[in-house]
Amino acid sequence: MSPTDEQHREAGVDLLDARVPAAETLPPLARLTRPFRTRAALGLQAAPAPALVFVPAGFVLGPRALGALSDEALAFLDIAVSVALAALGIFIGLALDVRHRADRRLLAAASAEALVTLGVVAGAMLFLVGRWRLPLDVPPLIAVLTLGVCAAASAASAGHDQSDPVKPLATRIADLDDVLPILVGAYVLGLLRAADPAAAATLALATAATGAAVGAAGWLLFEDARGAPERGVFVLGAVVLLGGSAAYTGQSALFAGMAAGLLWRLAPGGADRIVREDLRRIQHPLVVLLLLVAGASLVPSRVALWLLAPIALFRLVGKLLGGWAASRLAPGKAAPADLGAYLIPPGVIGIGFALAFHQFHPSPTGTAILTATALASLVGELLAVAALAELRRS
Amino acid sequence: MRRALAFSLVLGVAYASRALGGDPVPLRGTGLALGLALIAAALVGGFFERFGLPRISGYLLFGLACGPYLGDIITRSMARQLQLVNGLAIALIAFVAGLELNFARLRPRLRAMAEMGGVALGLLYCGLFAACWLAWPWLPVAPEATGLARVVLAALLATVAASFSPTVTIAVIAESRARGPLSELVLTIVVLADLVLILFFTLVMQALRWALGQAPAGDVSLFVRLSWEIAGSLAFGAILGAAFALYLRYVGRELTVVLLGLCAALSAVGAQLHFEPLLAALAAGLVVENVAPPRGDALKEAVEQGALPVLVVFFVAVGTSLRLDAIGVIGVTACLLALVRAALLREGTRLGARAARLDPALGELSWMGLVAQAGVTLGLAALVAEEFPEWGVPLQTLVVLLNTLHVLAGPALFRLALARAGEVGRMDEGPAEREAPAAV
Repeated sequence: MSPTDEQHREAGVDLLDARVPAAETLPPLARLTRPFRTRAALGLQAAPAPALVFVPAGFVLGPRALGALSDEALAFLDIAVSVALAALGIFIGLALDVRHRADRRLLAAASAEALVTLGVVAGAMLFLVGRWRLPLDVPPLIAVLTLGVCAAASAASAGHDQSDPVKPLATRIADLDDVLPILVGAYVLGLLRAADPAAAATLALATAATGAAVGAAGWLLFEDARGAPERGVFVLGAVVLLGGSAAYTGQSALFAGMAAGLLWRLAPGGADRIVREDLRRIQHPLVVLLLLVAGASLVPSRVALWLLAPIALFRLVGKLLGGWAASRLAPGKAAPADLGAYLIPPGVIGIGFALAFHQFHPSPTGTAILTATALASLVGELLAVAALAELRRS
Repeated sequence: MRRALAFSLVLGVAYASRALGGDPVPLRGTGLALGLALIAAALVGGFFERFGLPRISGYLLFGLACGPYLGDIITRSMARQLQLVNGLAIALIAFVAGLELNFARLRPRLRAMAEMGGVALGLLYCGLFAACWLAWPWLPVAPEATGLARVVLAALLATVAASFSPTVTIAVIAESRARGPLSELVLTIVVLADLVLILFFTLVMQALRWALGQAPAGDVSLFVRLSWEIAGSLAFGAILGAAFALYLRYVGRELTVVLLGLCAALSAVGAQLHFEPLLAALAAGLVVENVAPPRGDALKEAVEQGALPVLVVFFVAVGTSLRLDAIGVIGVTACLLALVRAALLREGTRLGARAARLDPALGELSWMGLVAQAGVTLGLAALVAEEFPEWGVPLQTLVVLLNTLHVLAGPALFRLALARAGEVGRMDEGPAEREAPAAV
């Protein structure tokens, strides 16, 4: 069943969508226009590049433009952001299957790609931050690691183009290349709370333990529920508890969610299927909310503008180099440049992590990192359109 | 065993987070409290159901046990943050109440129900007023008041103490899947009586201002405000209800999200415009049920999907706000007042059923459905405390304690009455099975 069929089964055919051909037969520019269609624009359906619509929309609605999303409202939405991050982490954990050798090779390839991108961006930014003497209110290492984590994730999951054999591999790598940034991100948030590296690692482990405990509780309950409404309460409660406990302790909701998702994936029974089905209903609204909040939290500043261009540039370099590294490790044959091009779209994980960092460190540096990451994501989406158009032509 | 293990894990996560979190930013605890409330309270509710008790009592007791006055897993600030869901929950519950009131079905019995409700409410109100007036010097609320002030103060306490809880009533009916004469009778009386009592409260408050010399004679602003609040709420709810009915008929997708959005609008926008969310949501539900009834089960499923999480959090929030610390101070007074109210309810419904020539069994059982009190009562008491802090705060404490007793006993009593009437589970039966008479 294709994703479109699945969406129609869930919610019926959209009148407007029915007039537009499916994503894979659209030219690359459709990546830009698809998010504007009715259900996608309402956040009820997946769109290839939702950040392009919802981050600017959030900025327009935010306190620095129309003021519909005031600072007070944004403070109230903090919890929804943590829940959205936990939900995203769960999906990543559910996609993480390391039981077969081929899957482990894919994970290694994806992690190598993410590590190269993270290393290129963090290394370049460490050099530039020192060179430019940017006024940062966190240790430079934490700031550049955060930027690296935000840049390392990618999302190559638009459509199922059967004409290019690299596409399915790129999609799978894009699903798995979030794992390493999430692990590093959990450690960075630990460093933010406890300057001691060992204490930071302990905090990250505690986050994983929390995720596993909630995951275990969910695994015990989901199949034991008396009817769909009670099961819905358990699933929702597990996701909210993952996000809520991470927010309360200042830890990574993405990591806690990933730990729970992995447990559900590996544990016997149908917990992973239940969670995937139940969360699909709220996944897109939560992503939209996260992007709107990110957009509303943007504050254009000198530091953010200085960070923007190098992040966008070094992320592109990192992805192309990472594509090369991944093509060496991944099963099957893929042209390194093609794989790198497919991995350029940044998706929402990077913005989500920047938002989490901003939540726990709402300083000018936290805001500048969020602003630069969100704007670099928009640049990344536009670059992806150009790169994919070139790829189609060749 | 699985559930007990899961319960321990969830509590362990909450404890560990509290220990790790230290003193976090305000609002950061909302997610932790919500997640804990959703899973652990749902488990406690399920445990209660196994013993034939209402799930709501489980949610309430969980809130009480984990709340700031006992376990303190849900701290005072978290408990305050949980109240954020109250507006949404009240609107959703009232909307569901509106959906349950089908005038075409009720018409043959509506007059009898109103007659019985009138007798029961009249006796309850007069009895409570007399008891409060006689016992006033011994009550811990402005005992020095005399003359007109004492009369009006007694009327005010009687009004607040007499109020019912549509939220608890509807929630017990919904979770018991109950349908039948008793459910319909209790629901109709509770909704109509609360409407009358809200009107009466507004009038008594104005009389109190006159009696205490705080309002000029002939002040008409009250009546304008009252008209705006009541008529405006009904019109606002009817408009939104009609829009929802149209959506239901011509679009009918993503109903759970749209339903929760409707309730959020009824609650938040209504509050901004000084409308009564309970009335507005009730009107919306009435319009959907009586003007454009939905076809199929889509709305029912959407309500079931959306209502349970909201109800769980709402009743846990109510549980965390129950003031156990006040028992030592005015516990005896509250218990006596609760006993007087229960006795008056019992006699009132018995007499009312006789006067309306209803089935005597209904008269015997219906008082059990009227015991519960919750949000409306607390809201009225809070209004008094805000305007008259000197004696309003002790009055609020008394009412809150009274409410604690009623909200703990009420759901269990009502569930017992529904079981005795043979109405539990009849909502799921087909039309043919439903035609078979219930026990009453």
